[in-house]
Amino acid sequence: MNGYGGKILRVNLTTGKITKEQTPIDVARDFIGGRGFGAYFLYKEVPRGADPLGPDNKLIISSGPMSGLMIPGAGKCDFTTKSPLTGGYASASMGGHFTAEIKYAGLDSIILEGISSKPVFLFIDNDRVELRDASEYWGKGTIAAEKQFKEKFGEEFQVAVIGPGGENVVSYACINHDFGRQAGRGGVGAVMGVKKVKAIVIHGSKSIPVADVNAYRVAGKALYKACKDASFLQEWIRYGTTVVTSWCDEVGALPTRNFSAGSFEDGKGLYAPVMREKIVITDKGCFGCPSPCGKYSRSKKYGSYVEGPEYETIGLLGSNLGISDIEAVAQANLLADDAGIDTISAGNAIGWAMECYEKGILTSKDTDGYDLHFGNIEATFDLIGKIARKEGFGALLADGVKKASQKIGKGTDKFAIHVKGMEQSAYATHNATAMLLAYMTCDVGAHHNRSWAITYDLQVGRDLVVPEKVARVIWLQNFRPMFDVLGGCRLQWVELGIERDLYIAALDAITGIHRDWNDYEMVGDRIWNLTRMFWAREIDGFDRRYDIPSPRFYEEAPESGATKGQITKIEDVHRLLDMYYEQRGWSKNGLPTSERLASLNLSELVA
Amino acid sequence: MTAIIQTSSGLKSYLDGKGEFEVIAGRTVFDTLVDLNIKPELIALVVVAGEQKSKDYVIQENDIVKVMAVIGGG
Repeated sequence: MNGYGGKILRVNLTTGKITKEQTPIDVARDFIGGRGFGAYFLYKEVPRGADPLGPDNKLIISSGPMSGLMIPGAGKCDFTTKSPLTGGYASASMGGHFTAEIKYAGLDSIILEGISSKPVFLFIDNDRVELRDASEYWGKGTIAAEKQFKEKFGEEFQVAVIGPGGENVVSYACINHDFGRQAGRGGVGAVMGVKKVKAIVIHGSKSIPVADVNAYRVAGKALYKACKDASFLQEWIRYGTTVVTSWCDEVGALPTRNFSAGSFEDGKGLYAPVMREKIVITDKGCFGCPSPCGKYSRSKKYGSYVEGPEYETIGLLGSNLGISDIEAVAQANLLADDAGIDTISAGNAIGWAMECYEKGILTSKDTDGYDLHFGNIEATFDLIGKIARKEGFGALLADGVKKASQKIGKGTDKFAIHVKGMEQSAYATHNATAMLLAYMTCDVGAHHNRSWAITYDLQVGRDLVVPEKVARVIWLQNFRPMFDVLGGCRLQWVELGIERDLYIAALDAITGIHRDWNDYEMVGDRIWNLTRMFWAREIDGFDRRYDIPSPRFYEEAPESGATKGQITKIEDVHRLLDMYYEQRGWSKNGLPTSERLASLNLSELVA
Repeated sequence: MTAIIQTSSGLKSYLDGKGEFEVIAGRTVFDTLVDLNIKPELIALVVVAGEQKSKDYVIQENDIVKVMAVIGGG
């Protein structure tokens, strides 16, 4: 198949059996690749009620038809599993160079099944695929382990590796790659860890078949030229995602002290120009990227180097913890990356603990002696390690804020900031109804990347609850994640403003199949509905209650900052859901109807 | 006494596709954006001659003022 590696690799860790099969043509037609393949194989192959940490769960790692080709940003890899954090669907996207090697090894997906009896790593060098003993790597941080793999096998091998967080099955453990890229959310690293797979080490040298080589070259060049000519390319490269830090502070979207406010009075120390001047030493991009948003930084104070911090980490390990020192955020970033835990969930968990402490619900007797007032940098550093090791108070936080608040009780669930059990990423949504709806209905929990609608809120009126806002959220949810399906990055499109049709020409040339954006959006819609059905299948009584956000956004208005006194009413939360379900063609309880599923050719799969 | 305001491509979708405006120098970026019917709160970054400026910056003659709205996030 043009644009594909052509094979699905299955690795049964229980038996050690390794097999390959042809990538199914009908699955490629209906789900295309990447996140689409993940959703399909997850729904079809993981049995109902499977323990996320048991042998029946699978970790599905997929490239897409863009991956590994000369298309701007063609370096995205999808990791899909049943989430140990939420019990539902998890899909995490990772940049870097890993996805290209999957394709060059002649593969589209790698499916890890079962559980190994001892630590192993998966070694792939073209057609040579082996499970090897990982005892000398087990227990090491992600950075040391990746370095050791690279030294042993060579720079041409790409490595996806877990740290102590994954080994100890922290519910929000991530998978790391290229010393600073993560498949961060939903606990994909915990699933890899419980399967006792320390790493996947991969290299390939095969060609990727392309339907029309000349047209592909022309379309690829046009895409790169459009990036090069983009009027804000240099500004985007200079700051990357951190360009939004000061803006979020200004408009009340910067999570501050466990999302109790959206503006941070000491936020200036975190702003992009300060970070660029104080710690950034160079820019770092993914495979084939003409607009590298990664910032490689050095902290003189801590004597450390890290890729980052990017905006989400600044928000969650900075302002959300009352920390205004960008060097401290960079150090916390490094500690979390090396431990292999998601900075977004970790920042939420520590922020929740700090609020518990400040309210007197937890004391130093509960927190292993730590003074957990907001702003305590040293305690933050220590807690990251304790979470990764599941040690003492860290063990409570390692399960995520939903479960931690259920254990502590005393009303702490009111300020556990999550949807469906996944901690909210770095946009405070007290008064931004489209962004709030995006979090409420996101397919993995409270994550921003499916539908980033906060600018739209500001443009049309942030507290408006109207069908147009709901339609915008749905369009974004169907369209933006298509880049995770195609195995590419959305940022050239959304931030550099690359015309969408330039991608169509490239994809047509690669696959030899003409699809317009309506066709791609239909696939996005199909995947969205399938993953919704996965939640409904796996969670008893799954209904609209799982789409309700943290009470923080409908019960407690911030006492300071740009959104002081502003709140979304609970009636409006339900109105948003009513409109959303209607526009999606779902029941009043938020479940796809049989007619809706039939219209997306999903009836047979979900039967 | 004129200058140029350039908007990021993402912002153009809110401005009927228009990306460049000739404006009068001597006013702040904030006030100029209001005059152009661009909501100042949409703007995440103001850059003049490669330097970041605040929205209170007074536009000088012949300035090319780049204003960037973030549309996509991370």
